[in-house]
Amino acid sequence: MGQRLNITTHVNQVRHDLDIEAAELLIDVLRERLDLTGVKRSCDVQICGTCTVHLEGAAVSACTTLAAEMDGSEVRTVEGLAVEDRLSSLQQAFVDEGAMQCGFCTPGFLLTATALLEESPDAAPEEIAEYLSGNICRCGGYNAILAAVMRAQASDRGDVG
Amino acid sequence: MTELRWVGTPTERVDARDKVTGRAKYTSDIRLAGMAHAVLVRSPVCSGSLRGIDISAAEAVDGVVCVLTAADLSDLGVVDPNFGLTVLDQSILARDRVRFTGDPVAAVVGETQAIAEHAARLVVVDVEPSTEVLTVDDALAGIALVHPERDSADPEFPNVAARQEFSHGDVDAALAEAAYVHEATYRFPLMSQCAMEAHTCIATWDPHGSSQLEIITGTQQPFKVRSDLARMFDLRHNQVRVRTGYVGGAYGGKLLTKYEPITAALSRKIGRPVRLVLSAEEGFRTVARHGAVIHMRTGVDADGALIARDSRVLLDTGAYADKGPGVVKKAAYRVKGPYDIPNYRSVALAVYTNKIPAGAFRGYSTPQVAWAGESAINEIAEHLGEDPLEFRRKRLLARGGAFMTGDTPLDADLVDGLDQAAAGVGWGSVLQPGRGRGLASGVKDGGGGPSRAEAEVRILADGSVEVLTGTCEIGQGALTVFSQITAEEVGCRLDVVTAPMPDTGSSPFDHGTEASRSTVLVGSAVRNAAADAASQLRALVHRWRGSEVDFTLDGRVVRADDGGEIELADLLSDDRNLPRTAEFELGSIVGRGDHFTLVGKDSPLGTPSNFYEVGHGAVEIEVDEETGQVKLLKYVSVADVGKAINPKNCVAQDEGSTLMAIGHTLFEELAFEGGEPVNTNLAEYRVPGFDDIPVEGLHAVLVENGDGPGPYGAKGAGEGGTIPVAPAVAAAVHQACGVRLRTLPLTPERVFEALQNREGEES
Repeated sequence: MGQRLNITTHVNQVRHDLDIEAAELLIDVLRERLDLTGVKRSCDVQICGTCTVHLEGAAVSACTTLAAEMDGSEVRTVEGLAVEDRLSSLQQAFVDEGAMQCGFCTPGFLLTATALLEESPDAAPEEIAEYLSGNICRCGGYNAILAAVMRAQASDRGDVG
Repeated sequence: MTELRWVGTPTERVDARDKVTGRAKYTSDIRLAGMAHAVLVRSPVCSGSLRGIDISAAEAVDGVVCVLTAADLSDLGVVDPNFGLTVLDQSILARDRVRFTGDPVAAVVGETQAIAEHAARLVVVDVEPSTEVLTVDDALAGIALVHPERDSADPEFPNVAARQEFSHGDVDAALAEAAYVHEATYRFPLMSQCAMEAHTCIATWDPHGSSQLEIITGTQQPFKVRSDLARMFDLRHNQVRVRTGYVGGAYGGKLLTKYEPITAALSRKIGRPVRLVLSAEEGFRTVARHGAVIHMRTGVDADGALIARDSRVLLDTGAYADKGPGVVKKAAYRVKGPYDIPNYRSVALAVYTNKIPAGAFRGYSTPQVAWAGESAINEIAEHLGEDPLEFRRKRLLARGGAFMTGDTPLDADLVDGLDQAAAGVGWGSVLQPGRGRGLASGVKDGGGGPSRAEAEVRILADGSVEVLTGTCEIGQGALTVFSQITAEEVGCRLDVVTAPMPDTGSSPFDHGTEASRSTVLVGSAVRNAAADAASQLRALVHRWRGSEVDFTLDGRVVRADDGGEIELADLLSDDRNLPRTAEFELGSIVGRGDHFTLVGKDSPLGTPSNFYEVGHGAVEIEVDEETGQVKLLKYVSVADVGKAINPKNCVAQDEGSTLMAIGHTLFEELAFEGGEPVNTNLAEYRVPGFDDIPVEGLHAVLVENGDGPGPYGAKGAGEGGTIPVAPAVAAAVHQACGVRLRTLPLTPERVFEALQNREGEES
């Protein structure tokens, strides 16, 4: 069909050499080729945040990002947050707070909030809510999600075990 | 009762780790070998005759496997293409007539999703447009018939899919004698369930397989889907196997059969697995919540007693009935409200229009009818110069009262609950200018209609435990609750219990995951099954110890209270006279349980309510008079859950349902231009986000009196929060700025316009 590109990328610290179409989207390469189905497809128009992944450490919507941007870049998905089965402090906080219901939006929230905590570990509750306002949870679990991010902050500071 | 170890304690959700690691598999994450991809072709207009479909260009696309239209279905063994709840008016593919913009008319299967999408755009659908029925008024006026071949369910009006009436006493006489009659019309918007994962289905037709048809689908009702597919394709129930993975949101929109039949037909046609994954846009065009117009008259006598209520509820059920007949029945029942009113007449109609089919949505008519009923109560209290809290205190049904004559006695203290909500927002304290407070109460009969649930609990030889049900994990946390109940009854640790997803080939039967019924009905079946398994284990332990000692199952080890310890496998080996060497040979201890709703022929719904789901709400708001913006400052929701088996889940469910109602109260509405829905995407259809949490908080308070019929005194939860929000907020807006709004949502435009026109009230 369209123009093809050969790219090299690291996804969750694993190198991949891929032959892609120039118009292919990041979400399709991650889900369909690399089987990273933790990257969830929902609105397709960069509104809901469900497909959020990290590209060079920044949170982006995989549904509207070209796969070509992976070339020479580091990509992180929800599958890359835990280190060998050890959950990140944020994942653990989501578990502890029960900050998921249907769970479809959970990977996107985790990636957005991870970017926030890396950027600004001491963000105030209002800043957390503002930063996460681009992610939608149709189950309406925002109170628990906010509590989980704050719990992760406390955990990272060593306030709780 | 002995102290509870797992029930009522803050345990981890059993699905939490799957969901934070991305391991949780939703239907759209599953790929089968040889799987092809389907895309539907939908009607471009809302009403017309289908003159022809040209599929030649699509068929010619490289990589297209097949293109199907309604004409092909009978060759594929479809003996009945229709499905629905009680009105089977929806067809696998439209044949002669299209009834809404988005009505499926053809399906394309490609080797890839992209090929199928490309080819689907090349299908030319030739429709001769016909008169569009776009409003309930036009439908009842009979400007055209949406289903000309069907009789109307109303003796007087055309285009009625279903009608329900409840009446008692002499409402006309009572209204004629009333000292004051309040009369108003309330409007509720058409909405979308808007699950983050749109409908998805994978079908594998294998005429040589043990099941001819295997379906993996994101449904709330696998056994209903099985039964429909068997009927439509002339198979036995055991020739159809329906499984679900995790379901990415449902809220009622994934009840009944949806796209499973078309996917099955496609798989049969090509002899390969076929997957259909809807786009978000198509999700909007699948099912909606009924928009409603409610006309209500409420009569009060000279002492201020509520003596009559006459309600007419018009529900826009769109092009197909879907759950409309059920929603109508419950609307007519619930519109009376939780008050002792001796004379009432409630009529509800599900009216066909050329719009998106409307079905179930969290609350199942209660948000619509409570918007009218509770707003009217607030307005009457004001007319009589009474505080709306005091007014309700004197008139809300008391514990043990009947919602309607013959009903299950009310199992809640409504006044206590409402008092807690009111106190939470500082009811009665001084308000700042521009602010207002409001409150409302709601009651819905809980657990749905008559239904059965079965469960099985297996204690395996290594001490691990499985609890099997047919209940879907749609986010509500049912599998966690069932695991807690099982651990409690068996006396094992929670972390050794697993609760697999439904598979009609192996799971016990369940009616479906809806109506806040899972904890109460399926939970009761689980408790019975677990108690059955536990009693079998207890017999083994007592024989071993020679006395009736208590014990726990700690991993592989049975620990008796008299100090004895033994591996469960050794117990089974002795009991069953099987060699201990091969553990798997020892089998399992299987407990079975069931639960079904009681049938009481005198109850108005035909069966008595399982329990009452109660939601109270109180709010403080601020109105910006320059913009018309309503800002929620604080909201307190009170949910009477009987016993919170998992308190965190109960709070999350109640907050979530409250937040969903904040959506329909302030901004959510599916808008149409003619027959075309214009905001079928999340950019234009706004759902509640972080910004919509009230600035001083959204608080859910649980009432636990242990007075429900479910396990440990539980009642259902998760829908009650939707009921009081809109009437409470509208009352607060009136208090804040003097405008009375009876049309939702309370958008800034609507509030601003009312402010401009402050003297005149909306009719």
